[in-house]
Amino acid sequence: MAWYHEVRSAWRDLVRPRPLERELDEELRFHLEMETQQNLNAGMVESEARRRAVRDFGGVERVKEEVRDERGARWLHDLGQDVRFAARSLRRRPGFTAIAALTLGLGIGATTTLFGVVKTALLTPLPYGHPEGVAVVWSAWKGFDQTWVSYDEWEGYDAYVGAFADIGLFSDGAVNLTGGVGEPERVRAGFVGENVFRILQVAPLLGRGFTPQEDRPGGPAVIVLGHGLWQRRYGGDPAIIGRAIQVGGRATTVVGVMPPGFRLPTDFDADGPTAAWLPLAQDAASQGAVPGPEYSADGMSHGFYSVARLAPGATTEVANAQLRALVARLGDEGIYPAEMQFRAFAVPVEQQVTGRVRPALLVALAGVGFVLLISCTNVAGLLLVRGEQRRRELAVRVALGAGSRRLARLLLTESLVLATLGGALGVGLAVLGVWLVRNTAPPALPRVADTTLDPVVLLFALAVTVCAALLSGVLPTLQATRLAPAAELKEGGRTATAGRERLRWRQALVAAEVALAVVLVVGAGLMIRSVSNLFAIDAGFRAEHVLTMRLSTPATWYPDSARVARFYDELQRRVTAIPGVTHAGAAYLLPLATEMGDWGLQVEGYTPPPHQGTPGDWQVVTPGYFEAMGLRLAAGRFIDERDHMEAPLVLVINRRFAKEYLAGREPLGARVRINGGPPDAWATVVGVVDDVRHNALTDEVKPQFYAPLAQFAVSPGNTLRSMTLVVHTATDPEALVRPVRAAIRDLDARLPVSEVRTMEQVVGQSIAEPRFAMELLGLFGVLALTLSAIGIFGIVSQVVASRYHEFGIRAALGAAPRDLMLLSVRAGLLQTGAGLAIGVVLALLLTRAMRGLLHGVAPTDPVTFAAVVLVTALVAVLASVGPARRAGRTNPVAVLHEG
Amino acid sequence: MTETRSDLLQGTLEMLVLKALSLEPMHGWGLSVRLRQLSGEVFDVNQGSLYPALQRMLRRGWVRSTWQASENNRRARYYEITREGRRQLEAQVAEWERSSGAVNRVLRFAFQGG
Repeated sequence: MAWYHEVRSAWRDLVRPRPLERELDEELRFHLEMETQQNLNAGMVESEARRRAVRDFGGVERVKEEVRDERGARWLHDLGQDVRFAARSLRRRPGFTAIAALTLGLGIGATTTLFGVVKTALLTPLPYGHPEGVAVVWSAWKGFDQTWVSYDEWEGYDAYVGAFADIGLFSDGAVNLTGGVGEPERVRAGFVGENVFRILQVAPLLGRGFTPQEDRPGGPAVIVLGHGLWQRRYGGDPAIIGRAIQVGGRATTVVGVMPPGFRLPTDFDADGPTAAWLPLAQDAASQGAVPGPEYSADGMSHGFYSVARLAPGATTEVANAQLRALVARLGDEGIYPAEMQFRAFAVPVEQQVTGRVRPALLVALAGVGFVLLISCTNVAGLLLVRGEQRRRELAVRVALGAGSRRLARLLLTESLVLATLGGALGVGLAVLGVWLVRNTAPPALPRVADTTLDPVVLLFALAVTVCAALLSGVLPTLQATRLAPAAELKEGGRTATAGRERLRWRQALVAAEVALAVVLVVGAGLMIRSVSNLFAIDAGFRAEHVLTMRLSTPATWYPDSARVARFYDELQRRVTAIPGVTHAGAAYLLPLATEMGDWGLQVEGYTPPPHQGTPGDWQVVTPGYFEAMGLRLAAGRFIDERDHMEAPLVLVINRRFAKEYLAGREPLGARVRINGGPPDAWATVVGVVDDVRHNALTDEVKPQFYAPLAQFAVSPGNTLRSMTLVVHTATDPEALVRPVRAAIRDLDARLPVSEVRTMEQVVGQSIAEPRFAMELLGLFGVLALTLSAIGIFGIVSQVVASRYHEFGIRAALGAAPRDLMLLSVRAGLLQTGAGLAIGVVLALLLTRAMRGLLHGVAPTDPVTFAAVVLVTALVAVLASVGPARRAGRTNPVAVLHEG
Repeated sequence: MTETRSDLLQGTLEMLVLKALSLEPMHGWGLSVRLRQLSGEVFDVNQGSLYPALQRMLRRGWVRSTWQASENNRRARYYEITREGRRQLEAQVAEWERSSGAVNRVLRFAFQGG
């Protein structure tokens, strides 16, 4: 229990030192009086008795001081004293203090913000019970790296993959909410198997999830609401459980409400989260599959997401091994032809959600670490200069008996106080930064917009602050405590050798700063090149001046395809009539927004290799779409008003389609049949368009075909209910949002509109991660260059100041101002050169980590490196010019007079 | 004064204080008188250095202090040994005997050898 006494003693000393002091006084007075009395008793005269008592005691004040030392809180008292001293000394030089604190504040603020983002996006567990046991299961085959699972496959995985304790299916889409309060609304909805909530281990906040009875075709109409939707549209009323709401025009009973923050594993991307969930309501029969774990040889529709709960002790590696074995068996049985290269694999849900954003965030975090290092280096440089200016003051302190440890503590306290100021400023900046992130983060970056400044992040800021204090304070402190007080005081502070050594340290610091800045700017440059490469990719359409919005025509109000087609005809007519609109049309899948899959085809005169089909990526459009989206016609014509439901079936294909399936033939007039349609429903190719990069700017384009919406209802016979309206405008597309919405409302006020975006926004979102990394690294690069420029400016100023006499003599001997300027600029360029060399080597080593983020540019891209070297050198020269001009103006007469 | 020597003195002083207090509680001046008597004026160090030592032992919980009326009816701070203090005393005495025994042996050996 020894520590208990220690702590109590220190605590008393800190909290109530006054009674302790009173008691000490009294005790020592008592001692002296007793001793005096004894001396008197021994026969001394009064004055002698008192003098002897005091002498034998040995210095009352010294003893008191020693007793205070023994109370155990001495160091805290000293710290307080040091802090007060540091604060005083910093207050005396507000300019220096402001610059140093601001520099550290920028570094700490940026680091804290980014750590907050990384913590939220990468370190916070997903909102599932034991998320480490959740895996998402995907299919893949030739041309599709990651695609949906079929009902049959799911049954097989459920039966044969022992590593899955349970596996469920879900899909997503949208439903229209009408009735009750508010406008009709279209919300994203998930269609989930009854076991999905259980697999994710998320219990509803209110009510319950779905039962197996509800999750079957023709089951009761039930819905589980998301917390946000429940609060927003239904006022957070708990009595909603058991009540019916209008979903897609159908009375649907609310059976549950999910807790806030619940999302499906596929809900973290640009499309935004699903807001309500309905039963998937599928069975083998409705899927055309073989019931049970056996697979049907055809008729498999791959249209479901699949999520599994791993069995206790199992990992995704085990699951993947079992999936491989199962798929190999299916191959042997001839169900999946070898040419198809079918695979199935499980991905940990964590990786599924954050896998894409992780590299961008980690690169940005590394970048911000560099910014912090640079700001610390910069402040270290400032403190060195300050140490230089304070040499006499410090020398006096040493002469007066301050030990070098005491002096070091004093100086470190000063940089700690400085860093604390910077830290406070940094937290303020981080508040701003987090606000910016929350409000501007692209939705395509999973969870980034949820960033908060929580206690952990603040603790991190504190740790960063302490690190910054040490990083910026240690070197100047070491330098300052190596003083030789006698020499300093005798020579009046003009010790050339010591000054030169300190200058060398500063030069090293500036070189380090430049090197760090080079790494950051190279990173930024590579990202800029990469993103500009992405933007330069010919996507096959024109993104400028295009407005898009999603709408759907529910079966309740538009029971057949004829009515759907008539709706879009009329809509196109009305929207095109709006002043400023040049073209309007609609497409089933918006490029770079909604992924496109393939459909089996027959192409007349083309025989696929054995065991391979003739797949084509399918798109369904209305007349006007091609013009509105600016697709380029290579041959023939676009789909137009002629291609109505009763007209001969037509298709438009892309160049790749013509090359792949119609090689060496005239594509126009070729005949194609969509599988699943009537046997004689042959459509004629009437046009060829340039390839559109639909799924991603960097994906390989596959054969694509475009069918008219009206005719798609004839063959293969599907009525599509969700389309994206595409409007090309002569002016700013955002200005036309209101008139276009008004036109839709005039036509049918019941139809909700969602996902209103310009095509430029869509393109931007599709490359959100590299752009995010580019913007951050760009910002950090500018910061780094600015800080380095300040450092170079400082060093050249110092060189100019320290060579003032020399310059004066040179000027007197006939040196032109230009010569003196060159001499000073050279002093700055020396550090810059060294920094550039080190930085380039460092960058060559480090940018390799960015490979995954780069498109069309090597991590060692010579153009980028050359440009960065040039820019940094230019910044260095510019930063040197100011002080160098001062050197040029050196007045020889003044110097010689002084000398 | 080198570090080791002051440590040695400090340790010895503590041991002597504990020894004195193990007999009866005493105030600071009384202790200083007792130490002078006990050591035959050998430990005629500055009387003041007793107080930092007492404060240190208070902090470590080896002694505790109370304000009481003194023999001439004045308020004085009395120190009293704690159980932890007695343990310390035993340990220090044992250590002292061990090391002084060793020194004695060395001296005897050196005497015979020389």
